[in-house]
Amino acid sequence: MSNSHNNRAAITRRAYAAVALRTMWRRAEGKFALIVLALWLAVALVSLVWTPQSLWTTDGYHVWAKPSAAHWLGTDGTGADVFSWLMAGSRTNLLIVLLTVVVSALWGLLLIAAMVARNSALASTSVVVIDALISIPTVLIALILAVPMGASIAVIVIACGFGYGLNLARVARPAALLAARSAYVESALANGASGWRVLVSHIIPNNLPVLAVQLSLSAGTAVLAESGLTYLGIGVPSGVPSWGHSLATSVKLINVFPLTVLWPGLIVTVVVVALNVFGDVLRDAIDPVANPALRQTAGSAGKEDER
Amino acid sequence: MSQDNGVHAETGATSANNANNASSASGTTGATGATTDASLASRAKNPKKHGPKWWLISLIAVIVACAVVIGVTVAYGKKSDSADASAKNMIADTVTIGLKLAPTNLDIRNTAGSALDQVLIGNVYEGIVARDSKNQVAPGLASSWEESKDGLTYTFHLNKNMSFSNGDKLDAEDVAWSINELIAKQYHDADALTAVSKVEAKNADTVVMTLKTPNSNLLWTLTGRAGLVFDKDAKYDLKTQAVGSGPYTVAKFVENDSITLKANDKYWGKNKAKTPTVVVKYLADDNAAVNALKSGDVQVLAPITETLAGPFKSDSANYTVKAGNGTDKYVLGFNNASGSKLADKRIRQAIRYAINHKEIIASRGGADKALGGPIPSLDPGYEDLTKLYPYDQAKAKSLMAEAGYSTDKPLELSLTYANIYGTELGDQLRSQLKPIGIDLKVNVVEFSTWLQDVYTNHDFDISLVDHNESHDFYSWADPTYYFGYDNADVQKLYNEGVAATTDKERDAKFAEAAKLISEDAPADWLFNYRITTVTAKGVKGFPFDLNQTVLPLYNVTYSLAEFSQK
Amino acid sequence: MRFVIRRLLLFVVALFGISVVVFAALRILPGDVASIMAGINAPASRVAQLREQLGLNRPLTTQYFDWMGALVTGDFGTSILTGRSVTALIGTRAAITFPLIILGLLIAMAIGLPLGCTAVLARSPRVRAAFHVLAIIGGSVPALWGGLLLILLFGKGVGLVGILPSQGFPLDGWGKPGSAIVSLILPALTVGIIVGASLMRYTRSALGELAGSGYIDMARSCGMTRTQAVLNVGLRLAMPQLVSVIGLTFASMITGVMVIENLFALPGIGNGLVTDVGNRDLIAVQSELFLLAAFFLAIGLIVDVLHRVLDPRLKNGGNVAEVNA
Repeated sequence: MSNSHNNRAAITRRAYAAVALRTMWRRAEGKFALIVLALWLAVALVSLVWTPQSLWTTDGYHVWAKPSAAHWLGTDGTGADVFSWLMAGSRTNLLIVLLTVVVSALWGLLLIAAMVARNSALASTSVVVIDALISIPTVLIALILAVPMGASIAVIVIACGFGYGLNLARVARPAALLAARSAYVESALANGASGWRVLVSHIIPNNLPVLAVQLSLSAGTAVLAESGLTYLGIGVPSGVPSWGHSLATSVKLINVFPLTVLWPGLIVTVVVVALNVFGDVLRDAIDPVANPALRQTAGSAGKEDER
Repeated sequence: MSQDNGVHAETGATSANNANNASSASGTTGATGATTDASLASRAKNPKKHGPKWWLISLIAVIVACAVVIGVTVAYGKKSDSADASAKNMIADTVTIGLKLAPTNLDIRNTAGSALDQVLIGNVYEGIVARDSKNQVAPGLASSWEESKDGLTYTFHLNKNMSFSNGDKLDAEDVAWSINELIAKQYHDADALTAVSKVEAKNADTVVMTLKTPNSNLLWTLTGRAGLVFDKDAKYDLKTQAVGSGPYTVAKFVENDSITLKANDKYWGKNKAKTPTVVVKYLADDNAAVNALKSGDVQVLAPITETLAGPFKSDSANYTVKAGNGTDKYVLGFNNASGSKLADKRIRQAIRYAINHKEIIASRGGADKALGGPIPSLDPGYEDLTKLYPYDQAKAKSLMAEAGYSTDKPLELSLTYANIYGTELGDQLRSQLKPIGIDLKVNVVEFSTWLQDVYTNHDFDISLVDHNESHDFYSWADPTYYFGYDNADVQKLYNEGVAATTDKERDAKFAEAAKLISEDAPADWLFNYRITTVTAKGVKGFPFDLNQTVLPLYNVTYSLAEFSQK
Repeated sequence: MRFVIRRLLLFVVALFGISVVVFAALRILPGDVASIMAGINAPASRVAQLREQLGLNRPLTTQYFDWMGALVTGDFGTSILTGRSVTALIGTRAAITFPLIILGLLIAMAIGLPLGCTAVLARSPRVRAAFHVLAIIGGSVPALWGGLLLILLFGKGVGLVGILPSQGFPLDGWGKPGSAIVSLILPALTVGIIVGASLMRYTRSALGELAGSGYIDMARSCGMTRTQAVLNVGLRLAMPQLVSVIGLTFASMITGVMVIENLFALPGIGNGLVTDVGNRDLIAVQSELFLLAAFFLAIGLIVDVLHRVLDPRLKNGGNVAEVNA
């Protein structure tokens, strides 16, 4: 019984996702975002098993070589293949983005839960604490973290996750508060539903559009943060390929080889644009008010439920 | 990182907006509605007169600001042009020199680092003896000296009528006081004078130094910090000021940024400053340094990487590019202590065979010199040891196989080095050691972390550092030094060399010890780093050899005429 | 009033918490200033002697309370390495960072506000889409790369149109204001374009929301043209929000411009902080971090209070939501 209910919920969810994706695809910018992100994922996966040249092949006699058939984007200061490093960098960046989004989502939800808690002392304290902490910039947090931890992916993930989680909580707060006070939630609570259950089944779904947009913005910012922090020496450690690493190493010689700096920066820009656009179209696609197709699916799913 | 702001700012404001909505949800509209109506009505009637259009005003302000800035740019650009023109055919009264590693303070008695030696010794402070650009001892405050047959007594004869930049007289009292103080208070480099038993001023211009044991390095040691002479009557903050007897005085010091040197008008000797003002600007960022040279902000750049020097080399009409000899040894030090993975000599040897030094040097632009042992060419006891471990991957592989490792079953080793040396060397070493079955994990850390982990705690497999000091061969005879290299034969030879009373004998002992060390492979010497210097046309008298530790500036001049003939 | 008092109390508590965190985090750091001062060939005895001399061996609690005691009296301590007061150190660095930020912010406003307004007022959907794309791309460029592109365009000696000094700050500092400002143009432009893009996006959404609101309709019914209504009424209503944005942006830019300072080799606050951490000059670092954190918290506080003061609707307990809906 509950199994079939779950199945049906899964089908509904899948239908929702399909409708949302289709809506996004119909818009030109949505198409752009989806293609870029899919390409990113594909390249990251491919780089796990194959890159045109091995990452660890250096050649001291051919450093900073111009693009050629063997090295599509030339070589870097150790004679390693720039294209291969950028390919491999995509997986590190993907990992950082995913981890950051997860950390900030969990941290943000925890804060939201605290803010809508029925314990009023906890709720009001958390509101004020968020207001205070949000003014401390991510770089500063990363800098403090890097003090004991050294350069590492964890510094980026924790610093960004922390900062973006606060943003998430603050942005979602009004809607979450409204949802928490809604008659629907009141009745659920009266029926003995636990606070967590209410959070998971009512408050989060109600805030989904806001959360989704905020998280995809955070994803874009995380990519930018990676390049900045790595440049400052507190991000991705040496020897780990990332776009920030490629950018930072090519910066040193812009006076002699200005063109090498073009590629990593271009990739970062395109990906961040895609993530930002993705956020925009996603909001429109999963907002039932803005997307009539979604309302239809919801309607048919509802009917199915009644049956 | 300023993108962060985007998100920070945006969320901040979004939430503020939302907060309004939420917090005012229970309020009433009546009052505001009315006031808004009233203000709107009055505005509609008189939209131009009423209220400042703040956005317009700010826009205008910004445009004006931009215009002013651009105006200043143009004016400034013209100004410097005209300055050039009027100064044609003249020797400039200011030369600006771009260096890289900045001192954090001027306290040469307490703070380590060759940046201080480089700028202060010979320019602001002078030693009892000096060092020339061949790394040999030369007369300084003492014009001559004698050494007793047993090597235990040194008698220094000082120049006459010497004075400090504050006008105080400099005599034997100051010399004896300075060195005795160094030993008593254990200032930096005091450990180099452990052989000294006492220093006395015999009369106003004679100083006698007595030793417990002979020390063939003593005179050279006195060319550095150990032999510097300070004014015993002057009171000043050593961290921010400097009172010495050299041709220049420190007019202004900005930590980590620049030092302005003015000619010392009370200077006593014959190395009188030829240029009244020398500004030393520290440019940590290589690109900024190159730009400063191109735009004429600095006339000399030392060091510059060979790659960045390329464009200047091809512009030989305006610039001179030259690599100078030095004593910088890029030492890939192994942890030789028992229990270390590298206690096995075969592995150490395999690493030395597997490293392609020529390729590494080529990747750095080709100016550096191969170095096969612990002593560089400017130090006593040098001989070419590069033949001992030629690049031979097959041999390296078989040695690793003997030790029980191969590419299928690699040995894991970590390489720890400071981030100032860049990531390239680590990447190259990892790639070169991979085929012989070593999986090198590279940790690029802050210099202070390196000092703690490697230097102090000996917690490392392989370390990489630029040992730039000259005459630092003793570290191989000291088993407590971080390499943990303990070889009784080497220690014996070293001590005999130090106790030698002739240079020839010393050099022979050191050379023999160096060969023993190199054969033992307690480290690999990647290369002898040679500093590349660029000077603009018209700069004369700037030293190329050893200029990161010994940089006499009194001879430097710059004539604008030559540079402007583009 | 109660709101302000509550925020002030929290401000003090937060400052105390930050002081403990900063102090503790710095003590975990490997290495210390004594070994940096002693250098690479010094015997262990020399390091120990320096450590004693510099007071690094005192118990941590003593060190903490000494520091806090001095802080309360407004004494931020003396940098161990440079021998200069931390206040003086920060002063010299702020003299570069603050002008850079202000210049950057002015450029951002010059770009963001007019473009944001135009984006709302433009009738053609194509024009609006173009502005949208512009804003998104501007906000997606890594600061490092944006700066590099500007150098490659305008930097003296490197750029296609080499008219501006690309990296470094003039030797005389503000002794020659002309060359000092000129050397800040490219970095400020980098900051300005990136922040300007987000400001534009923000202005657009704030104004756009209001443009469809009852306020504007009301203003138009009173005889204003649409443009007049949006600019006079809409912008005034959006102002509190924009002030919040600009305030918070300003605060986070102090460390946000670190990459820019680094790229353009400007000895500002961010660059100085990195240098001091590298040298383990802990007294300097802890005071700098503390001051920065205090500054951010203070800005957050001011922005919140200002927002309440500026927004008449909040003061009078008015209701935006209903008018908007």
